Amino acid sequence: MIGNKGSKILRVLLAGAMAAAALPCAVRAADGTIKIGAVLPVTGKESKIGGAYKQATEYAVKEVNDAGGVNVGGKPMKIELTLLDDTSEAAKSAQLVEQLITQQKVDAVIGGYGSHLVQAQSVVPERYGVPYISGGAGARGIYGRSKWVFGTLSPVDVLSSTQMDFLASLVAAGKLKKPLRIALLTENTEHGKDYAQGVRDYLKAHPGDFSIAVEESFELNTPDFKPLLTRVSASKADLFMADAHLEDFISMHRTYSQMGLYYQMVTYGARGADAAGRKALGAATDYIFASGWWSDLLPYPQVKAFNAKWKASTGAEPQWYHATAYETVRALVAALGKAGSLKPEAIRAALAGVDLKDSILPGGELKFSPSGQAILPFVVTQNKPADKVDIVWPVASKTGDPVAPVPKS
Amino acid sequence: MKDLVAILVNSLLAAGLYATMSYGLAVIYGVMRIINLAHAGVLMLGAYATFTLNSRFGIDPFLSLGAVIPVFFGFGVLLYRTMVRRLPRSQAGPSIESLLLLFGVWLVLQNLAYAVWGGDTQSILTGYTMKSVSLFGVRVGIPSVAVFAVSVASLLVLQLILRRTYLGRAIRAVTQNRDAALISGVNADRISAAAFGIGTAFAGVAGTLLATMYAFTPDFGRSFLLKSFCIIVLAGMESVAGVAAGAFVLALLENVVGGYTTLPTSFQDALSFTLLVVALVAFPQGLMGLFARLAGRRRSFS
Repeated sequence: MIGNKGSKILRVLLAGAMAAAALPCAVRAADGTIKIGAVLPVTGKESKIGGAYKQATEYAVKEVNDAGGVNVGGKPMKIELTLLDDTSEAAKSAQLVEQLITQQKVDAVIGGYGSHLVQAQSVVPERYGVPYISGGAGARGIYGRSKWVFGTLSPVDVLSSTQMDFLASLVAAGKLKKPLRIALLTENTEHGKDYAQGVRDYLKAHPGDFSIAVEESFELNTPDFKPLLTRVSASKADLFMADAHLEDFISMHRTYSQMGLYYQMVTYGARGADAAGRKALGAATDYIFASGWWSDLLPYPQVKAFNAKWKASTGAEPQWYHATAYETVRALVAALGKAGSLKPEAIRAALAGVDLKDSILPGGELKFSPSGQAILPFVVTQNKPADKVDIVWPVASKTGDPVAPVPKS
Repeated sequence: MKDLVAILVNSLLAAGLYATMSYGLAVIYGVMRIINLAHAGVLMLGAYATFTLNSRFGIDPFLSLGAVIPVFFGFGVLLYRTMVRRLPRSQAGPSIESLLLLFGVWLVLQNLAYAVWGGDTQSILTGYTMKSVSLFGVRVGIPSVAVFAVSVASLLVLQLILRRTYLGRAIRAVTQNRDAALISGVNADRISAAAFGIGTAFAGVAGTLLATMYAFTPDFGRSFLLKSFCIIVLAGMESVAGVAAGAFVLALLENVVGGYTTLPTSFQDALSFTLLVVALVAFPQGLMGLFARLAGRRRSFS
């Protein structure tokens, strides 16, 4: 139906379209930039930490560019960062990662914050074969399904088993008397399930000192914790171990305090030392212990240097999410340098072999396990009166002695 | 025995809060046959208004009610005058337009809150937030007791308005039979505006009370809206005394199941929904209708 002239026009248009499609790569190769995309929850309910991830990611990229860029195959290349806001919506999050890959043609993607958002994003890199690294998701289930997905947050079950190691050290030191019964309360999410699994695995591997008196899960943003805590109170447990997001931590610990509950040791997983929690609960947060992916109190020279430059640049003390976001960019930059090219498979293989020996994260060395997730130690902190916080575990990093059992108020 | 007292005390205290959350929905539904889906947004806004008055001006959350009540009444009247009154009327039940409009208002309020206050978790800490007292041998938080006192006072004021004032009688008349009320000379439009204002003010009060007990974000209010739905269905949709009874039944059920059975406490919301379904199927006229039916049956037996 199409005549000779029409067919010629069609061929010209087709050639034009193909040339246009090839153009971005050609231009990019010529102008010497590495295109990195990032999708973060800058607005919406995860915006507080999502905004901090954005700030630290931009800071790290600027630092690399100011130092001359990344040396890729002997050629210095600057990073061009495209950062998109998923408004804390999982579906939008995955859609934006896809958009970065298919439309922006990025060389690698930096993933978001929050296990549910990263879980949604993490299926996209496999589809297009693009390296992906997240600094904001600790749920184990995200990793190991795709060779393209990497993460710098250690698994949540390691967080809880580290807390068990800490409690066992208190028993060994004679501060706590065994046997100890645990009240285990976790949010009904991947995060909460991993936390509970970590405790259960520990008890299985170390029978004797500890047992679970009561184990319960609760929904995110539970309006009233009184029925749950009534059940916990009836269990006559000695230790209180919960895993909760900030909102639930505040509501639960308020009810805990109002009910006059007492346990020899109290933790809310990663919560406790947060400024927002201490502001909301005041002195009621004293002696709560928490495990974190990072602490500015870590006694490594590289941490001290990071603290100083962060404070000089932003005027504020760095938090754990600043550190993990910063380190995520560093890991990617190290891989880009090692890959020697911008070919996706080369970057992926380099990421799998990354070994940052001057890492600011606990343990001082960042590398990825075969599943793609970094398995790093956690630090345990304990709140002390007058807004003081000490690292109390591991012993090598401790800045103060643990108070155990916690004094009755 | 001690457990029974604890269940009753905790249920009664929770019921006070639940009832205050639900009065507003019941009044608006009674007068206008509208299910106010923006209720959760107003609860959240009430919490933020109280938070702002407390953090900026140091006003105690309970004293902030002096400002919250008139402001939210005005906000409700404004919402009615600018939007709700334009909706097609239906005596049979809520129209799809009203549901969509008020759902939209909820989303706007939520996004407005994100823009103004950000997504950070907020909470109010006062000198009495963490304190508790012993009530019949049960330790209860001072905020819970204060919230209960405010809830009882709100119920009394609402009953006083409905029983002793022209506005209240007119609201009851429109609730019972809108057409008959119109024929009797009641200005249904003004009554509807006042009812929407009262409903919104009650939601604002509930938001203040919730802020004294819980942490909140702009997403706050959703699960409380679900509980309110359940309560007004138990109440028979438009009975104020029924709302109090429905609130107590829900709170009692939550405390018994949550505290003294092995059913996971994460089923708490499922419990509200189960109760909602059972109520709709077994006694759609609500608890008051059920009691009246049972009383009638007993009379016919005797």
